[in-house]
Amino acid sequence: MAAVEVHQFAQCITCHAWSADRSMIALCPNNNEVHIYRLSQDKWEKVHVLQKHDQIVCGIDWSARSNRIVTASHDRNSYVWNQEGSEWVPTLVILRLNRAALCVQWSPKENKFAVGSGAKTVCICYYEQDNNWWVSKLIRKRHDSSVTSVAWHPNNILLATTSTDGKCRVFSTFIKGVDTRDSKAGSVSDSKFGEQIVQLDLSFSWAFGVKWSPSGNTLAYVGHNSMIYFVDDVGPSPLAQNVAFRDLPLRDVLFVSEKMVIGVGFDCNPMVFAADERGIWSFIRFLGERKSTLSGSRYSSQFSEAFGKFYGQSKSGASNDGIEPSRSRGGIHENCISCIMSLTESGSSRKTRFSTSGLDGKVVVWDLENQEDLSGYL
Amino acid sequence: MAGRGETVKEENAEAEAIITRIEHKSRKIESLLKQGRPVEALKTVLEGSPPKTRDERCKSANWILVHRALMAIKDVDALFSALDPEYYDILMKYLYRGLSTGDRPTCDQCLRIHEKLTEKAGMGCILRSLADTVNTV
Repeated sequence: MAAVEVHQFAQCITCHAWSADRSMIALCPNNNEVHIYRLSQDKWEKVHVLQKHDQIVCGIDWSARSNRIVTASHDRNSYVWNQEGSEWVPTLVILRLNRAALCVQWSPKENKFAVGSGAKTVCICYYEQDNNWWVSKLIRKRHDSSVTSVAWHPNNILLATTSTDGKCRVFSTFIKGVDTRDSKAGSVSDSKFGEQIVQLDLSFSWAFGVKWSPSGNTLAYVGHNSMIYFVDDVGPSPLAQNVAFRDLPLRDVLFVSEKMVIGVGFDCNPMVFAADERGIWSFIRFLGERKSTLSGSRYSSQFSEAFGKFYGQSKSGASNDGIEPSRSRGGIHENCISCIMSLTESGSSRKTRFSTSGLDGKVVVWDLENQEDLSGYL
Repeated sequence: MAGRGETVKEENAEAEAIITRIEHKSRKIESLLKQGRPVEALKTVLEGSPPKTRDERCKSANWILVHRALMAIKDVDALFSALDPEYYDILMKYLYRGLSTGDRPTCDQCLRIHEKLTEKAGMGCILRSLADTVNTV
């Protein structure tokens, strides 16, 4: 069984994040609060409620080394939360947005974080020692629509974004005084703040869920047209692969190794994608078992009723008894999965564990350890 | 403004070329249909379909041919044993175009094929045809 733990924390979870030692989880139960649970004696106990936002919190990230939580909300603000004693103390970050903040991520060195917004901009925020203040610097102009996801390259400079104009873009976020010119990083570190490195026009519909592979050599993102895109050699002449799959679109992705990606989304069941020896990516299988196999020619999903009506008209008089009423698809998640997080502790070489949360309010922990057919890609 | 005039002219020339190609294809399809090979005819017409152009005349001209081939198909199972997966996405787009006509026999035929195609190509195929607002047929 690939799912090792299932926790029902709320009615609906917009996003979640783990503390460095994985003993605590921060999640937003689809409102303006962030709840922190701690594992004590095999039970998850609610230990903190972070109340400062006015509207739905849609992005949480918990930095591993500095133990800070950053949150982004539809109220157009971010807070950085520092633990002081037993309290979490918020610091307001004025993002200077006129639309909702949608997603947030700490940079690998944890000295910056990026916020994607509905204002067609990305905010790069960094701490100014002199003023004791988080400063937000905006990347304007390039995006033609809301920024749905942001992902930091391991070099702490490059940032990939996806947006609802269907594009995936890569920017330089070099900030003087925060980042240092690194001769090893080559031409990348010569670029100025906000400079666009590449724009990928692979999708013709909304793009979501961008991630870099652990080495930063490959980029993956998904489109709302049931496609996933893999890009190698991100730069002036990128090598792109489009993989179409037969099920509902994805919302987010996670690299578990250089050669394997887990995609989660509207199909409520994580999908495994992997690259073969030639570097060709393809869909491998679903991770969760499906209790209800597709019965005959009928689609046993929440769509069966609608399809029944749809086809019923074409066969006037045909009996509709093969159509089952709406029910869950028999997987572990019962609704769209919107968030996937790695559960690998820093320093550990095995990257086999990750967690997913979704609109059904569950957090599910998955382990690839005993999935023998997949071990070759790890 | 001169530059814009040029592009319009170029687009027109391109459209003309596509129309000529479609006319040429039409003769081939007629002969395939006469020989009773509707699946071959459908493949031929799907192969050269012009989704990238915005010219409505090209799209309509090709749709007329697709429609002829679609309506000639009697055995849907035989269609899918002969049709390669690479045609699924473009076929789905034409099925939705057929359904949008509202014509009873066309819709009946499109729904019959739609059911089998969904079984073969899954929900993703429907999503791709609905979500693509650029490469329309």
